[in-house]
Amino acid sequence: MKALPRAPAIAAGLLLLAAVLLFAFSVGGVHLSLGDLLGGQGEAGRTARLLAALRVPRVLLAALVGGCLALAGAALQALLKNPLADPFLLGTSGGAAAGAACAALAGASPLISPAAAFLGAAASSVGVATLARRGGRLDLERLLLAGLIANAFFSALLLAAFSIASGEASRTMLFWMMGSLADATPGKVAALAPYALAGAAVLVAASARLNLFAVGEESAAALGVDTERTKRVVFLAASLLTGAAVAFAGVIGFVGLLVPHGARAVAGNDQRTLLPLSALAGAALLVAADAVSRAALAPAELPIGAITAALGAPLFAWLLLRTP
Amino acid sequence: MNETLIETRALSARYGASRALDGLDASIGRGEVVAVLGENGSGKSTLLRVLARVLPASGGEVLFGGRPLSEMPRRESARRIAYVPQSVDLVFPIRSLDLVLQGRAPHGRGFAADTAEDLRIAREAMRACDVEDLAGRDAKALSGGERRRVFLARALAQEAEVWLLDDPTAGLDPRHRLEFLETLWRVHGERRTTVLLVTHEIALAGALATSVLLLKAGRAIARGPRADVLTPDNLSRAFGAPFESRGSAFRVRSAVLPGGAADL
Repeated sequence: MKALPRAPAIAAGLLLLAAVLLFAFSVGGVHLSLGDLLGGQGEAGRTARLLAALRVPRVLLAALVGGCLALAGAALQALLKNPLADPFLLGTSGGAAAGAACAALAGASPLISPAAAFLGAAASSVGVATLARRGGRLDLERLLLAGLIANAFFSALLLAAFSIASGEASRTMLFWMMGSLADATPGKVAALAPYALAGAAVLVAASARLNLFAVGEESAAALGVDTERTKRVVFLAASLLTGAAVAFAGVIGFVGLLVPHGARAVAGNDQRTLLPLSALAGAALLVAADAVSRAALAPAELPIGAITAALGAPLFAWLLLRTP
Repeated sequence: MNETLIETRALSARYGASRALDGLDASIGRGEVVAVLGENGSGKSTLLRVLARVLPASGGEVLFGGRPLSEMPRRESARRIAYVPQSVDLVFPIRSLDLVLQGRAPHGRGFAADTAEDLRIAREAMRACDVEDLAGRDAKALSGGERRRVFLARALAQEAEVWLLDDPTAGLDPRHRLEFLETLWRVHGERRTTVLLVTHEIALAGALATSVLLLKAGRAIARGPRADVLTPDNLSRAFGAPFESRGSAFRVRSAVLPGGAADL
């Protein structure tokens, strides 16, 4: 077994993200060259700066959303000791999307949407945790089943909202269902960043404890971990990250499931390395996927969720075949 | 008996509505190797799980070195008590060395990388358990016997005073069982660790244990030096089967089996 040590792994993640960011800034309906942007004169320089003002928030939003989703997925996989654990599987994303959609349907201002998404994610988390609780303890297997129930419920809610909505409202519904980074603004980036950083800080701080869950919850408890508290903290932080991502970009699948698997294949399963690396790789993946979505059918755009699914499904199948 | 290290007073524990320990009184002396015997469901594993603080007690108390265990910080008790569960289900790959390094977790390893001292202790523990060569191997791919010794090495790296071993020889063939027990006996001798060993093998208790705790329906029906506890009467009562002694071994009489008895 070989695994990249922590410092080189994280350095590689940073390099990857930097390269993808540079690539994504230049790609789109119109090519943007770094030379024009920094030193361009006259028309070329003005166009470049205009494009950058449009593209920079979008690329940064993609990075934050991708990082949030991948980090949440990695932490849940470690906590639940399940390679299929993911914010979508546990119903958190569905709850967030349904919350936002319901608010939009009720005619609430778009400014309310993020708050409604948080409420939905939190409601889903509390509901799933309540369903999974047995004898005062959070049972990990019941958690996955409860996630299935939540997902069924919230997708029904979302579909109902979509069929009732009309005109502009139904377009908004579609945004929550399909996921999109097209409406990125500097304000959204600034609003998402604190949630992303707070969730990431909590999870990375818990990473050494999460390592001990690899042998099972009991083993972790016997090694001095307050497992009930750790489960609550990790579950809530993952919900926070997922809710924030969905609030600003709708439901985008496969990132939380896929990225941790890829990162694990490169760097092993030490959560102290895997969590930061997953965040960086998730950011890189979504930035790249968004660049492809803008460039592939320019000037039209492919839905980003379609791209992550198209990339994710085959890769996930391959990972599945590869695992003994 | 040596100075008492662990004492349980009217200790009870339950899984939902079913009571697994029902007012257990027992005491374990420092440096003893105690075999915990009893029929299935008698509360053997539950006792270890409560002592490991994996399962909370529902009544009574455990005193560890005279202090209530439940009032001790978790990390402190984890530095002093190591638990080797019956079976583990590994999902993700993990190097054997990393598994052994988990034993260092209660000693203050946080987000920081493993220290040279942690690595030294882990490697030494692996050497003592004859699993040094397996350090780089995925613990998922190890044989049952190898994996038991890797987990024993983890307990060793934990530098705990007490080892709680839940049926450590289950599923091992005679050679691996012997290797495991010899390793256990040797490291116990070197470190004077107190060992609580749950087992179904009465012969093993006779060979290894300094004292025996005999459980039935969540209570102790006999405890003390092995020669006092391991009698046909006590065993018949604990297991609900007719035991007879043959030298230092025990047999269960049978009207069905061709030999008329089974060696145990």
